[in-house]
Amino acid sequence: MTPRQRCVILGAGVGGHFAVQALREAGYDGEATLVGAEGVRPYDRPPLSKAFLQGAKTADGLFFKPPEFYRELDVELRLEAPVERVDIESHRLVLSGGGSMPFDTLLIVTGASPIRLRQPGFDLPGVRYLRSLADAEALRADLQRAGRVLVVGAGFIGSEVTASARALGREVTLVDLLEAPMVRAIGDELGRRYAELHRSHGVDLRLGASVVELRGDGHVEEAVLADGESLACDLVVVGVGVRPETSVVAGTPVAVGRGILVDEHGATNVPGVYAAGDVAEWVHPALGRRLLVEHFDNAGMQAASAARAVAGQPESYAPVPSFWSDQYDTTLQYYGYPIPWDAVVLRGDLDGFPVTAFYLAEGRVIAAAMVNRPREHRAARRLIAAGAAVDPDALADPATDLRALARGLPGE
Amino acid sequence: MAQVEGWVRVMPDAEVEEGTIYGFEVDGEERILTRVEGHLCALDGICTHEFAELVEGEVEDDVLWCPLHGSGFNVHTGAASNLPATTPLATYDVRVDGGEVYVAQAPREQD
Repeated sequence: MTPRQRCVILGAGVGGHFAVQALREAGYDGEATLVGAEGVRPYDRPPLSKAFLQGAKTADGLFFKPPEFYRELDVELRLEAPVERVDIESHRLVLSGGGSMPFDTLLIVTGASPIRLRQPGFDLPGVRYLRSLADAEALRADLQRAGRVLVVGAGFIGSEVTASARALGREVTLVDLLEAPMVRAIGDELGRRYAELHRSHGVDLRLGASVVELRGDGHVEEAVLADGESLACDLVVVGVGVRPETSVVAGTPVAVGRGILVDEHGATNVPGVYAAGDVAEWVHPALGRRLLVEHFDNAGMQAASAARAVAGQPESYAPVPSFWSDQYDTTLQYYGYPIPWDAVVLRGDLDGFPVTAFYLAEGRVIAAAMVNRPREHRAARRLIAAGAAVDPDALADPATDLRALARGLPGE
Repeated sequence: MAQVEGWVRVMPDAEVEEGTIYGFEVDGEERILTRVEGHLCALDGICTHEFAELVEGEVEDDVLWCPLHGSGFNVHTGAASNLPATTPLATYDVRVDGGEVYVAQAPREQD
């Protein structure tokens, strides 16, 4: 009798959760181990910057499933096992605390880590980043007693934390180097509306500005901007983007670009080693371009897809990526590819919300961002999935029935 | 027409259009009714992911899409078919009697 195969899933976030579930559903009958470093089983990360920070959700309410779920799947949980590196030759994970763990197949879903700022003073107490539950618990406690909050970076995390801090009644200054919040992802047209949204909720928004130094005696007390202005603050939250957590394969034959390079099945260039989610970069089969998507849905779906490949059921992973962001009384729902666009078509309110922005490249719809316009989600998604060439005037015209435009186009 | 124990009369069968979502309440809880390829389907009216009224959503093929974050649910089984939702939606038996649609008060057993 041959020994059972062993699949190790490295990373106990959303990707790890959906990977082990998909692995078993696809009939994998070897041993399966889910390895994490945070000491807790997989939980839902998106609420950390929103409902959890605002006190509307507890930590217990964040876990996807109870421990029994994993037991019933016959999945071993190793949740306090930080991994230093992957040893490809011996097919083992080298653990940071000493020791190692063998694998036959490895699925890397280590996600991404916040980019740390190195300017003077960013090592002071009172400076927070937000990625993990532990980060969120610390930040939530700080927010309860903060007087004046400074948020550095108006991307999704910085914008959501700002909205949460305002919901808690804190004074907030939000600083970003660029001309509008979330501008890289959603463009200037929508970004400017979010700038207005923050301001209308009492946020001191500083665009085109940067923090060059933090000062304080044993704790952060003030921030110095590039123009020399000094802002008082006793809590600083930094959200300036993330880096794919590829360090475990540094120095190995596993090919890395921005993320770990994988094919449409999640396979790396090294046999038996797979990667998915925020850490993985793959060529989207329908698009013919390399993508790295740093959002919840992709982390879960790509990990599940890669797990099915491990179980012998490979499929071509070609999603229309999607994400959402809730801030104040708005919900942004986005479908589409994170690639450059050359035109934006707006539909809806001329100045504020609700509005839909369509992003076009060479006349084709590549993405859509809908703020408080739920009835356009599915039609927009269809236009994107089909790469439809649509007359921009028709798209912008409120009299145009989007569903009629999308009718007859392939849905998936 | 008398109410039948355990069932709620919702609306005339002839008025339930394909792919349209109708909201109704049972004991203060929101439910929805829709018709997909002729079949009547009744489900809970609030998304299992975060609070959102599914009557504001869309039905496409056999998937009910949440208007808030785009979660998808199978209209027949309630299974969460698309993230971010991971918990199934409760479904209810439906029957037509005398041209009227009746929906069971108690949910079906989940798989």
